[in-house]
Amino acid sequence: MKEPMKLKIALPKIPDIELVALEGLDRLARYMGIGEEKIGEARILVTEAIINALEHSGEKNPVVRVEFSMTKKELVVLVRDYGKGFEPGSIEEPDIKKKVGSKNKRGWGLKVMKSMSDDFQIESGKRGTKITIKKLLS
Amino acid sequence: MEQSFTLTSDLKNNCLVIATSGYVNNVGGEAIAIEFAHHFEKGTKHIVINLAKSKVVNSIGMSFLIEIVEQLEEVGGKLVFTDLDPAVEKMLAIMGLFKFAGKEPTVGDALKSFAAGK
Repeated sequence: MKEPMKLKIALPKIPDIELVALEGLDRLARYMGIGEEKIGEARILVTEAIINALEHSGEKNPVVRVEFSMTKKELVVLVRDYGKGFEPGSIEEPDIKKKVGSKNKRGWGLKVMKSMSDDFQIESGKRGTKITIKKLLS
Repeated sequence: MEQSFTLTSDLKNNCLVIATSGYVNNVGGEAIAIEFAHHFEKGTKHIVINLAKSKVVNSIGMSFLIEIVEQLEEVGGKLVFTDLDPAVEKMLAIMGLFKFAGKEPTVGDALKSFAAGK
């Protein structure tokens, strides 16, 4: 199979809605014959991208659009929200030594996505934020 | 796909062993922190978190575990993770949690390491 398999989902902000996307990801992976060990990091990347978008879009009733494009070799995930956007360069990289002892223990999503993916792009503006993640599967 | 979060806890040789099942999100992370707090108040300083049945976690859930290592640091205690899925282990490494917490293959290995004073 040379053409990528694609899946598009629109997710409202309700508890654990990211699991719906993970179910789709798992089904695509099984259909493509991609092993469990290859998909674990992809699950975390998708989870982080979706919860980040739902939490920070700034909309009253946010909807996040998720697109998967999967071949046996790679997964490309696009996560888009339509919120107020932000300046990615203004986000300070978290440091565990600073987090221990501080009130705010959160703020790890971008670091996890950048570190765990094979390519990570973020575009943000007044019309929302688009995150594109590439993960090699072979 | 695993979903609902549950945990069990057990005291073994003065060590709190928490085993989770399901998605460790903010609710799961907070549940772990609350369970830890109950035992920490009574003097428990060694804790094992067995994540064998939690293949999906998120960074918000994991950030609750920073509270645990913070409190253990103050009393010379220690947290050890066991049975980690490779992807979850990588996430914890990215967050730097292993600078403050240990990891062992199994709960038995973790209990042995505590008994050996490591």
